Amino acid sequence: MHNDDHESKRHQPAKAKLSKRLKRLYVKSSFWPPLAAFAGLFIVWELATKLFAINPITLPSASAIAIEFFQSFTFYLSHAWVTFYEAVLGFLLGLSVAFVMGIVMAHSSVLERTLLPLAVLANVTPIMAVAPLFILWFGFGTLPKVLIAAIITFFPMLINSIMGFRSIDENHYEYMRSLHASKAEIFMKLRLPNSLPYLFSAAKTCVSLSVMGAVVGEWSGSSEGLGNVIMMSGNYMQTTRMFAAIFMLAFMGIVLTNVVRYIERKVLDWHVSANSWN
Amino acid sequence: MSYIELTQVSKQYRRRGQATEALHLIDLNIEKGKFVSIIGPSGCGKSSLLRIIGGLVKQDCGEVLINGRSPLEAQKQKQFGFVPQSPALFPWRTVLQNMQLPFEVNRQAAEQPPQREELVKLLEMVGLGEFTDAYAKELSGGMQQRVGIARAFGSGAPILLMDEPFSALDEITREKMSYLLLNIWESYQKTVVFVTHNIREAVLLSDEVIIMSPRPGRIKARIGIELPRPRSAELEESEQFQQYMADIRAYLRQDWQV
Repeated sequence: MHNDDHESKRHQPAKAKLSKRLKRLYVKSSFWPPLAAFAGLFIVWELATKLFAINPITLPSASAIAIEFFQSFTFYLSHAWVTFYEAVLGFLLGLSVAFVMGIVMAHSSVLERTLLPLAVLANVTPIMAVAPLFILWFGFGTLPKVLIAAIITFFPMLINSIMGFRSIDENHYEYMRSLHASKAEIFMKLRLPNSLPYLFSAAKTCVSLSVMGAVVGEWSGSSEGLGNVIMMSGNYMQTTRMFAAIFMLAFMGIVLTNVVRYIERKVLDWHVSANSWN
Repeated sequence: MSYIELTQVSKQYRRRGQATEALHLIDLNIEKGKFVSIIGPSGCGKSSLLRIIGGLVKQDCGEVLINGRSPLEAQKQKQFGFVPQSPALFPWRTVLQNMQLPFEVNRQAAEQPPQREELVKLLEMVGLGEFTDAYAKELSGGMQQRVGIARAFGSGAPILLMDEPFSALDEITREKMSYLLLNIWESYQKTVVFVTHNIREAVLLSDEVIIMSPRPGRIKARIGIELPRPRSAELEESEQFQQYMADIRAYLRQDWQV
């Protein structure tokens, strides 16, 4: 054995086992604090509305929202589904376009300087301002919502993919060159795996942004979706319904972010930051 | 004709319009199967010389022939196993997957990828037999560099180019690593060009030590090391070994400007 002169993280089985047990304990216990927080919020909310006799049009009681939510569960679920696929389709579209453009721009600084200003323009224009235009062009259907979600997703994904493709270790690059690897091989074996932590970091933010994009699209003109539910219940002062829809959206955001996190942990098990909760 | 042959090779680098001469009219020939060290002070162009041989940098003038072909042609045919200063292992690959990387790229240079057992055997030789499936980043710096060396020997390339592979390691690890390299080289007999600024390492490992002068890099002296092989730790204490070290040190001191 030659490894007596080095420390290896693999070479401390006792310690590793202990930290694994601690981690499992943490994951288990980490389930309880948030649950306690939500339960606390629910109780304080409920008591406050009862104690101060708040007008239910201003703020319905927590229990009233819960009852409304479970009584009309299928109603919320069907609208949530609409918003969900608008957001997810938009997210995937924005991600794909950003990925392809990232490849092009990472390989050519001329194209980067040509295309980046357009991407920045799309990013600085308030999406709320453009949404009505999209409805005008593409109608009340799914397409404009998908496009709005895609535009919101696009920019952070683009910037991070360019960064990921570019920021390769000089030594790794030189090693690949010494093997006479082609540009495509350098991309597939080096740039792409190198970019994955950057891509996932952006995806975690973008996936919840895409839900926002879908809702903004629904506000601008729609006949279904949670954004539509919120808008309509606002018009009819159905605050309870409004809150139920808002919670459904928040829940959707949590689910989507965690799906991305889950994929990240599966794909990036070699990467340290995959273990942290950022 | 020699295996590696450089004739009147010069190289300049231009930075902000100012040219610095890195290498000045280098003539060098290296025989097949030899272990040759290039030693010199920092900035003497020894790394540039190594990269010119490996086809990573193009010389400004002069001719470089690797077994009668240009370095780029030789690179295309995967003649080089490069061991850079930092181990250059891909962190998303396991140790074994890093060993297999040379066979996954530039496949028109048709060589049979080795059996898994062959690569594992090499890893065992460098004492990492049980780490085949560990991610590269789970290993210490010294262990990573051992993988880098095992990868070069396992790559099938007949010429190994090593650019100060041990310079980032501590002195004790470093000494051990030089014996490890000695050991593996003596069983594989590949041509090695080894850039270093460590005199002991150069004498211990080499058949010939090439001493370079500071900028612009020129070959100052070539010393054949006629110590018996296989070389051992006791050899280091011998008078002959110490004499070689003293000779090289004397050459290097000539360039001191105190």
